[in-house]
Amino acid sequence: METQTSNTPFYEPSGDECDLFERAWKNRLPLLIKGPTGCGKTRFVAHMAARLGLPLHTVACHDDLTAADLVGRHLIGDGETIWNDGPLTRAVREGGICYLDEVVEARKDTTVVLHPLADDRRMLPIDRTGELLQAPPAFMLVVSYNPGYQNFLKGMKPSTRQRFVSLTFDFPSAAQEEAILVGETGIDSMTAKRLVSIAGAFRALRDHDLEEVASTRLLVYAATLIKDGYDPVRACQAALVETLTDDAETAVALSEVVSATFGR
Amino acid sequence: MEEYVGELWDRLITGAAERRHAAATVKLDDIAKSAAIFFRALGGDPGLGISAAPAVRHGARRRLLQRMAGSGEKVELSWRDGEVLRLPSQIDLFAEYALNRDLYFWLVALAAVETNNHRSWIVRNQQATLATLQRFPGLQSRYTRLVDALLAMRIAPHKLPADEAAQEHTICQALQRPGSVDEIMLAKRPFQPVPLWPHPNPPVNGESVTAGAGSPEQAGNAAQKKSRRKHLAQRTDVKEDKNGFLMMFRAESLFSWSEFVKVNRPQDEEDDTETAQLAAEDMDHLTIARDGKASAANVRFDLDLPAGAADDTPLGEGVLLPEWNWKKQVLQPDYCSLQQLIATDAKPCELPHALKNTANHLRRQFQALTPTRHWLKGQQDGEELDMDAWVQLVSEKNSIMPTSEHGLYRAQVNQERDLACLLLADLSLSTDAYVSNHSRVIDVIRDSLLLFSEALTATGDSFALYGFSSLKRSHVRFHYIKGFDEKYSGQVRGRITAIKPGYYTRMGAAIRQASSLLVQQKKRQRLLLILTDGKPNDLDQYEGRYGIEDTRVALIEARKLGLRPFCVTIDTEASDYLPHLFGAGGYVVIRNPEDLPKELPLLYAQMTR
Repeated sequence: METQTSNTPFYEPSGDECDLFERAWKNRLPLLIKGPTGCGKTRFVAHMAARLGLPLHTVACHDDLTAADLVGRHLIGDGETIWNDGPLTRAVREGGICYLDEVVEARKDTTVVLHPLADDRRMLPIDRTGELLQAPPAFMLVVSYNPGYQNFLKGMKPSTRQRFVSLTFDFPSAAQEEAILVGETGIDSMTAKRLVSIAGAFRALRDHDLEEVASTRLLVYAATLIKDGYDPVRACQAALVETLTDDAETAVALSEVVSATFGR
Repeated sequence: MEEYVGELWDRLITGAAERRHAAATVKLDDIAKSAAIFFRALGGDPGLGISAAPAVRHGARRRLLQRMAGSGEKVELSWRDGEVLRLPSQIDLFAEYALNRDLYFWLVALAAVETNNHRSWIVRNQQATLATLQRFPGLQSRYTRLVDALLAMRIAPHKLPADEAAQEHTICQALQRPGSVDEIMLAKRPFQPVPLWPHPNPPVNGESVTAGAGSPEQAGNAAQKKSRRKHLAQRTDVKEDKNGFLMMFRAESLFSWSEFVKVNRPQDEEDDTETAQLAAEDMDHLTIARDGKASAANVRFDLDLPAGAADDTPLGEGVLLPEWNWKKQVLQPDYCSLQQLIATDAKPCELPHALKNTANHLRRQFQALTPTRHWLKGQQDGEELDMDAWVQLVSEKNSIMPTSEHGLYRAQVNQERDLACLLLADLSLSTDAYVSNHSRVIDVIRDSLLLFSEALTATGDSFALYGFSSLKRSHVRFHYIKGFDEKYSGQVRGRITAIKPGYYTRMGAAIRQASSLLVQQKKRQRLLLILTDGKPNDLDQYEGRYGIEDTRVALIEARKLGLRPFCVTIDTEASDYLPHLFGAGGYVVIRNPEDLPKELPLLYAQMTR
């Protein structure tokens, strides 16, 4: 196993997920990562790609993403058409990790192109060129999505789901989250502790008053602002409160939590 | 003359004794929502509501002027029980607005801490203070400011008799150095109230009865004054066989008003609710009979079911449904019996004339939402080449310079509307209330259902309409208006027109039944739209927190089935409990009920876009 070098993105493991990832890659199994937004899914994949020395092809899925965007399309050149590989095809040709972020956002028909690639055939048929690509051993398919209940309308098709090994992410424990904030931004551990305590309070509001709760990413933003010398209360207001809610009364309550933690 | 002088004196002495600061008043109503969220964020029980605490007599020593003026004998303190967190209805203790507001949030923060109930009051408060300050160090300076301001206002120990001085001294020490006091020597006279701490011995605990909470359905009384204030309630068993015509008390003085006598005259306060309200505010206790006919609260009738012949036609056998008991935290299987009904006397009819214009308008708007899946030509980006554009470009290139940048791709736009919606309308008796001079809630609901159906028929989305009401667990009425497989027709309009208010709101059972119908629809999006005007409530224990928790569990079950519940309500107090049930973004409160018919289809369009 390679050690964490300066080129490897910082990642604080919370369990044996690195081990599982490596085993899945070695055994050519596709991986599904679920977890709330900003809890470190993308960072984890980037970290693992660097650790395993693989190229990483990331596709951020959106609701207009079509199969052609993944596989490739004909472009028009000077009097002729040129076939241009999509990120998925490129990853299959070169070997490496193809990471489809927020895969449920993509249109339903899009995910079907993943099927032959995600089971033991590991093939990618390209209809438009008539090609049939066989994925090399170094290729790995990783998809992720956020299963928050507000999003359940966009659940994954069972037939797609059943082709993956699954890994669930959640927000790290308080101690780990503090370590992440310190490691990522270099703030002192006292401030990190307080930021994590605010996040804990906000997360208690999940399903009641907030649709999405404070992610580790937002905490890193707040910590970055504080590290830069900005007033902690203002930093939390900008990075956390205003980002999480538009409702004035909810914002008042969240600000109270912030000033209860950092207040004077 | 005598009266005039008396009045002047009263005004003078009351004003001089007044130690409150009207300009700096913070009202509970202004901060209730934020306070509730703050409470939940600090780890407080999310099912608790917030309400105003009743003023209680404290019996402590007052200043001379206050004694002369007869003021300052009552105080509003906060406390928490299984149903609600009670906070003062307003705080005007300090001269600064910020301090009064800080006190509110301090009380909320304190209430969010779980304390050991076996310890004495003074130890509990200090523990809670310490725990709060440790978790939220930012509150330290605020706490210090509050304590300093409070101590400056209390009667100093050296002005008190020895035993009271010692008692006061202990309290001051506990406030200034929380954790340093283990016990308090109580003096003969109660200590001055401590607004920074919760009530030493909350008057009603456990299963409380509150007038106004778990409020009976208000039949036909839309103008009822909503007050957050709760009264101390005292349960009294109803003695049967009282002669209702025997006049046993005179409702002239406060004293006799507060005495409870069970009289079978549900109508007797009808003309005098305002005076009764005032009298009730002044009373220490409000006595409520077990059968729910409160003297000052609304009267709750046990409604008789219509005779079989006059009732709607039952459809099939009754369905047994479970119900969640939050006190025991168990799901009681087969607890409710639900009967599906269909209106017997519904005649097919046309859309009422008054709605035709709006309906046409909506239909046109909604036709734009009809499912389409087509190719757009000349796009900058797309899945396929646009051959026409390509040929044109090549030929233009061979003759002259290209005239413009053409998109050379074809893209498929996918506007498939793969969804089903079940609308569940609350048809309880409370919908009989008037929302304006000419329409009742039920009329608004009827118009909403009609326009909603018109709009959805234009989109081609699959939808069903049901209504519900209930009379205890044995009789949950589930009215069939339109099924998923039925076409929207005159017959359906007839059934919509025939809806009428009745009975109570056992929401959990109705939601469970609706979920089981909706889940059979094999669609990608399944929307469960609930149209209501109040809290879940029924005649038996199904009220207050019990009803809310059962509804919540029913909604969680629905979400697990992959349905999307959404609530549209006209209850302006709904933000007290709907976040707990539906989550943020899971409900909408229509401020002006008359807008509902127009708003509902638009809401639907937004939700399913």
